Amino acid sequence: MSAATARAGTRRRSLPRVPIVERAAVTVAVVMVVLAVIGPLIAPHDPYAVDLSKALLPPSGDHWFGTDASGRDVLSRVLSGARVTLPATMIVIVAAALIGTVIGTVAALGGKVVDEVLMRITDIGLSLPSIILALGLAAALGSGLQSAVIALSLTWWPGYARLVRTLVRDVKDAEYVDAARMLGVSRTRLVFRHILPNALNTLYVQTTLDVAAVMLVISGLSFVGVGAQVPSAEWGAMIAAAANNLTNGWWAVAFPGLAIMLTAISFNLLGDWLRVRNDPTIREGAGR
Amino acid sequence: MARFLLRRLVTSVVVLAGLAVVTFLMTQVLPGDPARTAAGRNATAEQVARVRIELGLDQPLWHQFTGYLDRLLHGDLGISVFTQRPVLDDISAMLPSSVELVLAAMAINVVVAVPLGVYAAYRRGGSADIAARLIALLGAAVPVFWLGLMLQLVFAAELRLLPLTGQLAFGQDVPRITGMTSLDALLGGNLAAFGDALRHLILPALTLAASFVAVVARTVRSSMITTLDSDYITLARATGASEFRVVVRHGLRNAMVPASTILGMQLGWMLGSTVLVESIFGRTGIGAHAVAAVLQSDLYTVIGTVLVIGVVFVVANIAVDLVQLWLNPRLRRTKRRTGEPAVPALAEVNA
Amino acid sequence: MKDTPLLAVRDLRASFPGPEGPVEVVHGVDLELARGEKVALVGESGSGKSVTARAVLRLDAEATLTGRIELDGTDLLALPPRRMRQIRGSGVGLVFQDPLASLNPVMTIGWQITQPLVIRGVSKKVARRRGVELLSRLGVRDAEQRFDDYPHQFSGGMRQRVVIAIAIIAEPALLIADEPTTALDVRVQAQVLRLLHELADERDMAVLLITHDLGIVAGFAERVVVMRHGLAVESGPVEEIYAAPRHPYTRALLAAVPRIGGDLSRPLATIGSAVETAEEGTVSPS
Repeated sequence: MSAATARAGTRRRSLPRVPIVERAAVTVAVVMVVLAVIGPLIAPHDPYAVDLSKALLPPSGDHWFGTDASGRDVLSRVLSGARVTLPATMIVIVAAALIGTVIGTVAALGGKVVDEVLMRITDIGLSLPSIILALGLAAALGSGLQSAVIALSLTWWPGYARLVRTLVRDVKDAEYVDAARMLGVSRTRLVFRHILPNALNTLYVQTTLDVAAVMLVISGLSFVGVGAQVPSAEWGAMIAAAANNLTNGWWAVAFPGLAIMLTAISFNLLGDWLRVRNDPTIREGAGR
Repeated sequence: MARFLLRRLVTSVVVLAGLAVVTFLMTQVLPGDPARTAAGRNATAEQVARVRIELGLDQPLWHQFTGYLDRLLHGDLGISVFTQRPVLDDISAMLPSSVELVLAAMAINVVVAVPLGVYAAYRRGGSADIAARLIALLGAAVPVFWLGLMLQLVFAAELRLLPLTGQLAFGQDVPRITGMTSLDALLGGNLAAFGDALRHLILPALTLAASFVAVVARTVRSSMITTLDSDYITLARATGASEFRVVVRHGLRNAMVPASTILGMQLGWMLGSTVLVESIFGRTGIGAHAVAAVLQSDLYTVIGTVLVIGVVFVVANIAVDLVQLWLNPRLRRTKRRTGEPAVPALAEVNA
Repeated sequence: MKDTPLLAVRDLRASFPGPEGPVEVVHGVDLELARGEKVALVGESGSGKSVTARAVLRLDAEATLTGRIELDGTDLLALPPRRMRQIRGSGVGLVFQDPLASLNPVMTIGWQITQPLVIRGVSKKVARRRGVELLSRLGVRDAEQRFDDYPHQFSGGMRQRVVIAIAIIAEPALLIADEPTTALDVRVQAQVLRLLHELADERDMAVLLITHDLGIVAGFAERVVVMRHGLAVESGPVEEIYAAPRHPYTRALLAAVPRIGGDLSRPLATIGSAVETAEEGTVSPS
């Protein structure tokens, strides 16, 4: 008894997780998604209304986040920016997850040659910095948020393909799938009803964890001028436009960046929480 | 050992071949006429026609690809429509400056992340551990370009501690030897310029390093925890080694094996992230060059950058493999030595 | 036997932090070793024998220890960390169960063997010479050439010799061997034990052998201490314990040992069949 409890003691010490942090993360993530929907409705000003007489006003009661060089209200633009950045991020993640699921499933269930070829392609995608690949593709497709989204979708899937392949292979060999197979369940049905749903259970945790990373790349692409173009209230593009007035209008740079950061942090915490909740083995060994 | 290296080499070749295919496809998915794109926006019809034949665009796709591959192998990445110079020449001129920045960022990364990870592992749940978690949280969420601007605002514009942009103060002059400003200043014997170049490096390097520190610290932390829990660490303690010696001399090398893989990959990723950092700080380099090329629709330059970064990435990974051979003797797989005659002289030297 | 024992443990209690406050795992153990004496500390997993042994070196940072542990008259529990460090290695050496896990995979065995000397200010050259000498004394052939090899290049028995070399190179007066042969095959077990015995006699080194296996104790130790549930339940000279065990637990341990000349028709007893089984899932904290 004694030694076993001693062990349990050390384990407890390595669990500093405070549930309140996770709760806050979920709240912020939800608020951001809600803002993406209703943001423009509660925005105090028109995010696109140019008024040069009000250019570069510092934060005040009327303009909480100040105004940019064109006199537009930064708070309103940050609020409506959620509507640009978040959907773009979601599209990339969903598209990449779809491509990755198809390729990963085919690789796992197809023959050895198919698997080898697909995994080598995946390796290439995984081994290059995605921002560079996306930059190249976006340049080839022409500027604009759509091409940034397409380019990023086409470069983000390899991670999912690798994950889904592993998951499907694990599930494929599981006992209940063997049982289903013996009961004469057809191959297609097996894949769609038994194998995939189990694999996707883990995939959605990974996609949540990727929201922040994708958002950072999208806003980065917009910042360098390949993604959303300048008048757009996309957060990265806002920062790019305000960067010229960094010293006399820092607020127009600072607040969109803080919005990105806050959203990214909350999605990361949410993803971590989902991962721990989904996988009791991680909970056991947390901190190890 | 030879097999290990050979396998890694084959993987590298596969990645490079794949890169060639991907970039070739980029030239193909172009909306519009690739010959027109290659010839530039203001080219005449004859020029476009000439470029079409030059590039073999009138040939079947397979021929085009072999031709493309052949040109790549000869270092021909095409001509930039903007500078009218060979793409590779432009990039080689820019690369050293980017490498300088990446190396500086890597130095910051290692100097901050490794001790942080080690200490977080040593005092689990302590303040360093919490700091590491916090840095991880922020590092994974901060937009690099925004961080650069904020650092400029605080340390250059407000506190005036460091220069805002550029690589060298006005009036300083260094000979171009390697293309890395700080190194050139040092080689030219100009210590003032060397110090100045370093001061110009600090903010961009910090910005570039920021998002990478957390990953390294976390890797070092977790491998260090495994290491510190092992019997050989307890044995080292039981022979009277000091805590510092136990952790650093007995433990660190083990913990660095997984971290070195991450660091190697980060070299390539950092080079990619120069795209977001260099233009903010007014530095020359392939990142800034690529961004400019994108805005000028200079596609061959963009593709050239992708290729060069890919090659650097592969080379960096081979370098990491060599480092791992050094760190981890189990990879070396030398045969068990049994009955050879003694060579006392050699043994004495190695002591 | 001399008057002051080399090691005197008095009323040692050890507790570890648990979810509901500290949990005591050793409940007041007394133990004595004379200079050069070989004593076996016997018990099952979870009996507290390893915790007791490690307490002598104060190796478990999270353990709270009370009582007295005197080495040559000095109370180790009262020593500041720096002085304690000096005792480790040169006062008391330690050998663990698993020789592979006890060796650092990325350092040469020579580096590991010479460390205890190097940190005590011995020059690398001298340390190396002494390390090679000790290693050949321990029966490693071509010790000179093998010195720069890595642990994975050695067999299990040879690795344990390397571990012993690390433990005794700084010439401790007491060696604590925690299940030193459990991970080895039977033939190698006997070799390693014989070697330990010889070395102890040569160097006038006391050995505290920790084991769950009474079978290996007979030819090795002079005295036996039996531990169970954090208490020393019986102690005495080996012959006495073997001939007339007083505690039922000791009898159970003895019954589990196959003995040459014993009644082979009788099935081997398990501890659990004689005494109620120790709690499920108990793990030795070593």
